[in-house]
Amino acid sequence: MRRAPACAALLAGTLVLAGAQAGESTGAASRQLARELLQQLVEINTTDSVGNVSEAAEAMAQRFRAAGFAAADVQLLGPSPKKQNLVVRLRGSGAHQPLLLLGHLDVVEAPREDWATDPFRLVEKDGYFYGRGTLDMKNGVAVMVTTLLEMKREGFRPARDIILALTADEEGGTANGVQWLYQNRPELIAAELAINQDDWSIPTENGRAVVFNLAASEKLYADFELSVSNPGGHSSEPGPENAIYTLTQALDRLAAYQFPFELNAVTRAYYQRRAALESGQRAADMRAIVREPPDPQAIRRLSQDIRDRSTTHTTCVPTRLEAGHANNALPQRAQAVVNCRILPGHSAEEIRQQLQQVVANAQVRVRYLGSDGRALEQAPQARALPPTEVTPEMLNLLQQVAQQIWPQIVVIPFMEVGTSDSEYSMAAGVPTYTFGAVPFDPDDDRAHGRDERVAVNSFYQDNEFFRRYLRALTAR
Amino acid sequence: MTTRSRILTTVLAALAGGHALAADSAADAASNKLARELLQQLIEINTTDSVGNVTAAAEAMAQRFRAAGFPAADIVIVGGPNEKKKNLVVRLRGTGQHKPLLLMGHLDVVEAHREDWTVDPFKLVEKDGYFYGRGSSDMKEDDAIMVASLLRMKQEGFKPNRDLILALTADEEGGCCNGPDWLLKNRRDLVDAEFAINTDGWSVASEKGVAKMFRLGATEKLYGDYQLTVTNRGGHSSEPRADNAIYELSQALINLSKYQFPFELNNVTRPYFEQLAKEASGQRASDLRAILKNPPDETAVQRLSQDPSVNSVMRTNCVATRLDGGHANNALPQRAQANVNCRIFPGHSLEDIRQQLIKVIADQQITVRYVADNGQVAEVVPNRKSLPPPPLNPEVVKPLEKVAAEMWPGIPVVPFMAAGASDAIYTNAAGIPTYGITGIMIDVDDVRAHGRDERVPVNSFYNGNLFFYRYLKALTGP
Repeated sequence: MRRAPACAALLAGTLVLAGAQAGESTGAASRQLARELLQQLVEINTTDSVGNVSEAAEAMAQRFRAAGFAAADVQLLGPSPKKQNLVVRLRGSGAHQPLLLLGHLDVVEAPREDWATDPFRLVEKDGYFYGRGTLDMKNGVAVMVTTLLEMKREGFRPARDIILALTADEEGGTANGVQWLYQNRPELIAAELAINQDDWSIPTENGRAVVFNLAASEKLYADFELSVSNPGGHSSEPGPENAIYTLTQALDRLAAYQFPFELNAVTRAYYQRRAALESGQRAADMRAIVREPPDPQAIRRLSQDIRDRSTTHTTCVPTRLEAGHANNALPQRAQAVVNCRILPGHSAEEIRQQLQQVVANAQVRVRYLGSDGRALEQAPQARALPPTEVTPEMLNLLQQVAQQIWPQIVVIPFMEVGTSDSEYSMAAGVPTYTFGAVPFDPDDDRAHGRDERVAVNSFYQDNEFFRRYLRALTAR
Repeated sequence: MTTRSRILTTVLAALAGGHALAADSAADAASNKLARELLQQLIEINTTDSVGNVTAAAEAMAQRFRAAGFPAADIVIVGGPNEKKKNLVVRLRGTGQHKPLLLMGHLDVVEAHREDWTVDPFKLVEKDGYFYGRGSSDMKEDDAIMVASLLRMKQEGFKPNRDLILALTADEEGGCCNGPDWLLKNRRDLVDAEFAINTDGWSVASEKGVAKMFRLGATEKLYGDYQLTVTNRGGHSSEPRADNAIYELSQALINLSKYQFPFELNNVTRPYFEQLAKEASGQRASDLRAILKNPPDETAVQRLSQDPSVNSVMRTNCVATRLDGGHANNALPQRAQANVNCRIFPGHSLEDIRQQLIKVIADQQITVRYVADNGQVAEVVPNRKSLPPPPLNPEVVKPLEKVAAEMWPGIPVVPFMAAGASDAIYTNAAGIPTYGITGIMIDVDDVRAHGRDERVPVNSFYNGNLFFYRYLKALTGP
């Protein structure tokens, strides 16, 4: 694993906390701009089905042009008219190689009828901003754009170029922007390190921000299709064989199955630090699972918590169902999409074979679904990437800035159980840290769900944090 | 009564048969050729609910009648506001001695996905002794036969003893705008009749190509679709929870797949099973007799329930036919839904069955709602029951026994409860007793209606064509 020399170099000196000196009026103006950007972004539908990422990219490009960024430093590019990515460069002194900031513009589908409010309107209600993307991740995009626009206006000159890439198809689709940029225009986003804002890193505990999860590892994302086919026929004479029932039996077996417990360098460090913040049984269990051999009872208890379960196991869950072609005909096909999050060290093909064993029925075909939606008999053999190393300098700077906003907070290395575009920058050899300084209630996680929302305070705190952190990180 | 009249008509047929067949052979061949042409024309007009157009098929048939010299006033294309769902009503004028006879057929077909089929479902393909295509057995073959029969009668100047009304209609298989329902509500004058013959089905049950019995449709099960819905708060799929809409729905469907509605008999299915017992041998014959005992033999009931074609006549059946769930591969599902299709034994209401489904599923989180014919979920279930079988009309049965005996000597005509529901539900409810009669013969283990590679044997189609013409003449001759 590569060390990140950039971090060591740039953190050796004293911190410069420009944000700390900013007056209240700067804060208010910044909040207003961030909110305006959030609204603008939420109200441009960027779903894969009917949305248009290019429209959002263009809207942000306009902001940068208006702020006086050179035309050559504001580029829209991508494989198709609706999937254009925006790459903006804030020129620095060139003392170091560039820093890449990543954020995706696309959002998950949001059927209007499932929501209490219009998902494509920003609604402020009861201390929350509601709307698709308010948490994943138009909030992060708005915060990054705000910070860069302010740096430009204030004439801030970072010690390295800051490249912002706002991209398409992180949530699915066939035109992942980060992947496309690395394949087609790698020079445009070449960087020494990357920060991906695609996360919400501060799960509150009883409303208090005590932990900041610095993600330096990711699980591997893979979709599989379970399919059953059958001759079908008229539904007035149902026989014993039914594609739907065969599929539901398979799903029932999947529901009962759990992949094995595993730890890696990042999750081990996470539980070691995390144990200090916990008390009672939970603290004891965390200590018991990092021992060799780990205590099975402790694993069982901790796995009751969905976050701990996901951190210590590969997980697979059905997310979509489709079967039949008419109400009055026996189904000729039944299929489910099973979404897996695979621990580092394992390949998608390994998990596909395991799923085939779990469903225990040769009539149920388990195939890998490529990002283009095609089903393949074999999944890729590549193993999930090993973690990026978390240096003490990286931890310390984050913690110092974070504690200005949340005085009690502790930064902890973390494995992201979801997947983000960090997989592409990590695969390109760029040390990538994934975090969004958004305090949120982990029991009210609505990203990808209905009535997605972010607390108004959290959004403004993130904005303030990022203003300060980016200056500190690039001051010298 | 059935047995006696069959012997009588067999004798009559033997006396009359010889000369009729020779004299008619040229006209029969011409009619079969026309019927095939009509079948091809109908199959190659896509009449699915999704992308098809029933009106186009209705118009194509109307052209045929116009060309044959039917007066314009007797060819009516009519229906609700949906331009793709018009019905054709044609009248062949009779002597007016009796009230009219209504002949019913639907033009629409079930969806057919090209990728599931080995041939193009919207091309007529003749292969290995079969006609393949969507609608080849449900029921464009019968539409073609009815049209061919009326055209032949017209050409021959045949004057029936009552008007013959042919209604070729939309949305029997589902959709917004059921044709017979609309016609009875809005243009009863066009379709009013003393009784009706619905050719939607295959009356001649065969095994390995050998005719076993003629099923006279005398009652039918009630059709009901129900939607099972589970909702969930969803969330990011990287942190799956124990509560999951898809798992919950799966569990409910597993419960449903294990459930069996109670065994029942009525005055149509009892003689039907008696007849099956006569045809059968060994264990099957004794099982068929054992289920007719009072109380029925439970072991025999279970053994016979393994045969889908028998099982469907023994009880209400409910089966899952569609699934839909989730909105993105990487999000926990907020909704999972299944369509459960029920065929309800006469005497039970749609609401009775909904209540029973709720009990079987045994999960308060799952809503069970009735889905109306137009596909809309209804909070209030219509108070619909299947009506008791209409009395068997000797005017219908006697000529049927005669013609059936000519064409398939020795096979019995047996009153039958159709397990599939048809448009007869509307005409029966409107007081027009409706009989399911068609000369199409299909092997009981090769029913592909609604499935992939739907087909009808070529011989069965031609025989069915001749049967229908002959039966119609016998029924309405002077």
